[in-house]
Amino acid sequence: MINPFEDFKEYPYKKKEIPLDHIVRAKERVMDQIVEGYVKLVEEEVKDLVWLVENSRVFKAYSSALRTIQQVDYDSDDIEELCLEIDKGGRIPYLISGPAGIYLSALCNNAKEERIHLRLHEFKRTFHFLGYRLPEGKTLVLEGDVGDFIGAGLSGGKLIVKGSTGNWAGAGMMNGELFINEHTGQNTGGWMSGGEIHIDGRIRGIAKTILGGRIYQRGKLILPHDMTARE
Amino acid sequence: MMGRKENKYDPLLKERWAKVRKKHFFPELPDPSISESMDRVALEIKSKQITLSQSFMEEAARHIPMEKVIEALLDHGVAHYTFCPWDFHTHLTLYQEAKKVLKDKQMAQKSTDYFMDVVADTHCFKEKDTPISDLYRHMDRGILDEAIHALYQRIWGKDLNVKGHEEISRRLSRIPYLDRKPWPESIHRFSKIIQGLLESEEKSGTLNQPNTMGQNDFGRYSCQEMDQGLKEFAMSTGDPGEFKDVVKDLEDELKEAGYASHGNMGLGPGSPLDADALFYMKLAENYALPIKKTPIEKSGSLYPFSHSPWELGKPFRDIDPWTSFGKVMPGITQIWERREGETFGEEEGTPNCIVVIDSSGSMINPRQHLSYAVLGAACASDAYLRNDATVAVYNFSHARSGDRQILDYTRQRTKIYQTICHYFGGGTKLDIRDIESLQQPSRPDIFIITDMQITNLEDLIGYINGLENRVTAVHIGDNTHVRRFKRSMGIRKNISIHSVQKKEDIPRIVLGKIREYFRSVS
Repeated sequence: MINPFEDFKEYPYKKKEIPLDHIVRAKERVMDQIVEGYVKLVEEEVKDLVWLVENSRVFKAYSSALRTIQQVDYDSDDIEELCLEIDKGGRIPYLISGPAGIYLSALCNNAKEERIHLRLHEFKRTFHFLGYRLPEGKTLVLEGDVGDFIGAGLSGGKLIVKGSTGNWAGAGMMNGELFINEHTGQNTGGWMSGGEIHIDGRIRGIAKTILGGRIYQRGKLILPHDMTARE
Repeated sequence: MMGRKENKYDPLLKERWAKVRKKHFFPELPDPSISESMDRVALEIKSKQITLSQSFMEEAARHIPMEKVIEALLDHGVAHYTFCPWDFHTHLTLYQEAKKVLKDKQMAQKSTDYFMDVVADTHCFKEKDTPISDLYRHMDRGILDEAIHALYQRIWGKDLNVKGHEEISRRLSRIPYLDRKPWPESIHRFSKIIQGLLESEEKSGTLNQPNTMGQNDFGRYSCQEMDQGLKEFAMSTGDPGEFKDVVKDLEDELKEAGYASHGNMGLGPGSPLDADALFYMKLAENYALPIKKTPIEKSGSLYPFSHSPWELGKPFRDIDPWTSFGKVMPGITQIWERREGETFGEEEGTPNCIVVIDSSGSMINPRQHLSYAVLGAACASDAYLRNDATVAVYNFSHARSGDRQILDYTRQRTKIYQTICHYFGGGTKLDIRDIESLQQPSRPDIFIITDMQITNLEDLIGYINGLENRVTAVHIGDNTHVRRFKRSMGIRKNISIHSVQKKEDIPRIVLGKIREYFRSVS
């Protein structure tokens, strides 16, 4: 009797593993951990039903995010992929833009790479709080328009926005540089105490309370006024 | 390989083809061939046949044995059939996603080609014993090829002699190419990553050059495959705008691939492709409505039914001198096509149908959004046509001021769907005389679809009440006019009324109610 499967006897029954399999599996594992951390953070934050932007509240969320991501071995590609997941909303059960931005900032600040590039122009959602507390030695490049509180609490890092920001850009920044190559919203630089903000486009409004630091528009120093006069 | 010049590599090709076929579990593909004139690309696929470029083969054979070159090229070509894109619908979906990112036809096509190459090659490399990597190691490369080969190097774990492109290949390597389900999302990311390279190719003027391994054009698909693919694509997009974007982009390719000359698909030689009509035509095909036939029997006598061009050998007695300009010449002279007449009797048949569709301002413009009215009318027309009946269309808005189109009984899908898709967007007043002009002694069915906000609704009610035809009235939404219409028609047995509130109602309710309706009268 002829074996009908004779022709196929040389075929290996074991699947060949190629590096792509490992890369995709590892990426999936990391993404699961990152998404899980984000969900945990949001669940903690939504207990109070309304998420208010208060300094203590923001810092608490940031500290909690830092704790969550400590054990995760991720890189800048994972951060960009999280942005994509947040934008798509498939794996993210609920999205609160404040905590989402703070979580992304925590990831950027603790990433292995010194320079991180996030391409955000195609996303439907607006990301807030990106670059929050960006430390010295780190450069974060954001491509596309972003939301409010960009570069808030900047702590020595270099934040480059290739697009426009919303309100309160550089709010409470202590040190470092914030470059915005298009426009900013209202209350730019509110409560900033140090560092520099460089804006190439229009400024909708500068905050009333500014404790220190400098703001430049199209290369020209516009704040503080006394220094402008001296220069 | 019959009927063409023998090539010196034919015996080797034959031997390798047998091996490749076995390796890929005997795909149903014709024997491949070798072309001496092809020099820009490695291979070409037309009507499922793979043609290898002799000059490419000989160039590659300077580095690796000829049998390996042939086998690698055949593996590549076959994997496009057996894995990616697999079918025309997948190809269109991938193109659509790439276009969303790149916003440019040429870039989107190139990105789709490269993505499909990566998927097919990686599938081959993982699942089969293939010399593809040996071939790629020695190939001449453009910038984009280099980046893709750097990706292969990373995801296959093979040295392909590529330097650089670290960042781009790292980002590309995170895409799960072998997982079919997220392919639309994967190509979206793929296109985003290679966008910069495509833009620099555009600047340097090399974007229009085909990929080294050949372009994945639409010439590979048969008309039937395209038909099926468009049907699935219309269903999956569900949006006339998105469908139109893709079909308009690929109009030339579709025509070149022979799709345009297939008359039944709504495209004729030289005629522009009406993507909107095609969308509803293909979408309607997904909802095949069964029609219960009415007792009709053939009378046995033939009567002139329609014209067709006269050809040598056809009988002279059927020539119609009135439409032939008095000439007897093939291509100009018209003859009558005869059909057997029908009368009511014992045998079952399907009556013809008059489709009455409201395209006034209160209805959705079918060219901008999915119109339930047009889809419903398209489904009904499709059902009658599939049952060998003919369809007449009366599309009206403010009929008295000329906003109306009347299409006499025909089986030409193109004309029917184009008339159904026409949108006037004006007031709503129909002219009963227009419908009356389409009446036939054999009492055609009447299918009317409207939101009932007709200024002379009373005239319509009065007219329908006096009819013996079977009438299927479908109303979009609910309002006082609908209720009045329903009240007036409540006792009539030959009239069935259906409501459509959401998309899903159209195929389901029309389908169910038609069956119920036919059952009630038979």
